[in-house]
Amino acid sequence: MYTCGIDIGSVSTEALILDIDENNRYKILSYAVNKTGSDSKTAAEKSFQMALDEAGLTKNKINFIIATGYGRINVEFANKNITEISCHASGVTLLFPEVITIIDIGGQDSKVIKIDRTSKKPIDFLMNDKCAAGTGRFLEVMAKTLEISLENFGEIFLSTKEKVDITSTCTVFAESEIVSLIGKGVAKEKIIKGLIYYIADRIISMVSRVGLESPVCLTGGVAKNSGISSAIEEKLGVKLQIPFEPQITGALGAAWLAGKIRL
Amino acid sequence: MEIPSIKEGLIKNIQENLDSRTIKKLLRMVSFGPVLALYGSSIKSEVDRYLNIYTIKYLNEVYSEKFPIAYGSLFLPYELIIGLGLKPFLPEIMSGFTAGVGVAKKTIKAAADRWYSNDLCTFHRSAAGACEMGLFPKPSFIFCSNLACDAAGKSFQNFARKFNIEDNYYFIDVPHDNDEMSLKFLSSQLENIFYNVSEKLHAKQSKENLKKAINYSNSFRKFAIEANNLRKELFDYPQYFNGLNYILPFFGLSGTQECIDIYKKMRNELKYKLVRQDKNKKMKKILWMHLKPYFGNDIFNILEKNNIRVVFEETSNIFWEELDPDKPFESLAKKLLSNPLRGTGENRIKAMQQIAQDYGIDGIIMFSNWGCRQSNGLSRIIREEFNKKSIPVLILDGDCVDANNSPAGQIKTRVEGFAEILNSI
Repeated sequence: MYTCGIDIGSVSTEALILDIDENNRYKILSYAVNKTGSDSKTAAEKSFQMALDEAGLTKNKINFIIATGYGRINVEFANKNITEISCHASGVTLLFPEVITIIDIGGQDSKVIKIDRTSKKPIDFLMNDKCAAGTGRFLEVMAKTLEISLENFGEIFLSTKEKVDITSTCTVFAESEIVSLIGKGVAKEKIIKGLIYYIADRIISMVSRVGLESPVCLTGGVAKNSGISSAIEEKLGVKLQIPFEPQITGALGAAWLAGKIRL
Repeated sequence: MEIPSIKEGLIKNIQENLDSRTIKKLLRMVSFGPVLALYGSSIKSEVDRYLNIYTIKYLNEVYSEKFPIAYGSLFLPYELIIGLGLKPFLPEIMSGFTAGVGVAKKTIKAAADRWYSNDLCTFHRSAAGACEMGLFPKPSFIFCSNLACDAAGKSFQNFARKFNIEDNYYFIDVPHDNDEMSLKFLSSQLENIFYNVSEKLHAKQSKENLKKAINYSNSFRKFAIEANNLRKELFDYPQYFNGLNYILPFFGLSGTQECIDIYKKMRNELKYKLVRQDKNKKMKKILWMHLKPYFGNDIFNILEKNNIRVVFEETSNIFWEELDPDKPFESLAKKLLSNPLRGTGENRIKAMQQIAQDYGIDGIIMFSNWGCRQSNGLSRIIREEFNKKSIPVLILDGDCVDANNSPAGQIKTRVEGFAEILNSI
């Protein structure tokens, strides 16, 4: 059986195609990641088509499609939509069956999900409030202000010893704070280190509310940033499990759930 | 006249013509008997229809300037106010109406323009703005208590000053403890207030009227208990029925014939539904804590779509004993003191645990209204206590009145995610 999961996030849209056999063994046939941009519907269609092309399949071969993410209701060709909470939980459990706590840091929201040890299903979750602080968008804005590519943040974090504290919660005010720090001649590396710790602190506060239980997995586009994952590991005192492609766990979970629902 | 257009027309007119004279005119127009009957016929549930019709009539009366109006906070002994012959007007509930008809944005802005802090909950802010805009009728008296919400006493003081009736502002101090001394202290306060206001009104029959209101309140209580008992087994509710829509009669009208009629109709309709309910039908049962958003939202539809039903609300809980008409002040004091929101959080937790047990609750949604410390302060313990019993709790952060402070997409994802957990997806 071929299934597809489509995860429409605020920044990127992922499509993933699974081949699930009668013994519930799965194989990832393909996946595609595109920018969501201003039209989530088109982004979903584009990612789906790219994943189909890579798998060498046509749309009519796909038995069931589940859409997830904030734009899930806009995917008209999906058979069902399920929240990113259940899909991330399902995707991570497939990759790391022992994981209990999932931290997902996306473009515009971050969440912590708790998995039940026995049923392997989500039992609790927490999402950030209506504020971009502590998300991928926050990092993007800061990278632009500092005129340093986001990809370099990880290396800078690891090689810099000192940091400056960022105190503003609001993204806009934090941007002004950084401009003022640059104006005072503070090294950009120290600012980056401070920014990463700032995000890590916000995420750790969410983890504490749900309750930290190991093993812990980090997903979402921000998980690719080694600075963030190192800061979280340091503050939590645990080693994080990070998927080979942290952006696709939502789409993977959606495709897996599509198989279960279809059956 | 096309039936559904009446409601939309009314809402549009209120949104566009925000002055109390127009509102009064509109209410008079729609409360004309045959029009109301037509409007009501578009509502599926018998009791909802009665509630809507009654509410429009009630609003027409409070705006008619024919009755002395008493502003009151939510947790008051309204039997006493009704016994005094005053028409209760509940600004906090009217804030819910401002959200329902889509004018809260304007009223909240009006409050902000006059230095009301954004930190104050929008039930009070929207009411303050509406009052400043001249949308509320002029009161003769203002009553407040410190039960559960301490802010009402302070917010309502602004109204007393605005209408220049500071001598007619009464504050009921509900003690923290529930013991003999507290009972005496509270009873004597109620008695003093009653006779003081009665004297000001030159009301001769007030004691008899109070007795009558107490008897009416007992009848309402009896029907409400019966309705609540039916809900222990009921899934198949009248379409759009929501216990959180009955705040006005439950609190503000206890002591009136209309409140009895509403709850009698509710009991009858729910009984009718229960008898015909498919016995094999099963749904996940939710206990709703605190209030809900009163602007258009999808929360309850999402739950229904996921085979989940709010089967009880914290605000539907009959927590008090039958009142003694021969000891009205002591009875009403006991009613106030037995409210689970009085005192420490333990009282509230115990009451909710009992409800969870009685109704076989599968999950709890606690709506965390921005700025409402009395409720939100306990959210962590509520979560912990119910999680110990393996009952999942969703603390839903949002706003009951201000749609801009309650993003629909985020609320949807949280509610759907919670529904998926309950349904083990």
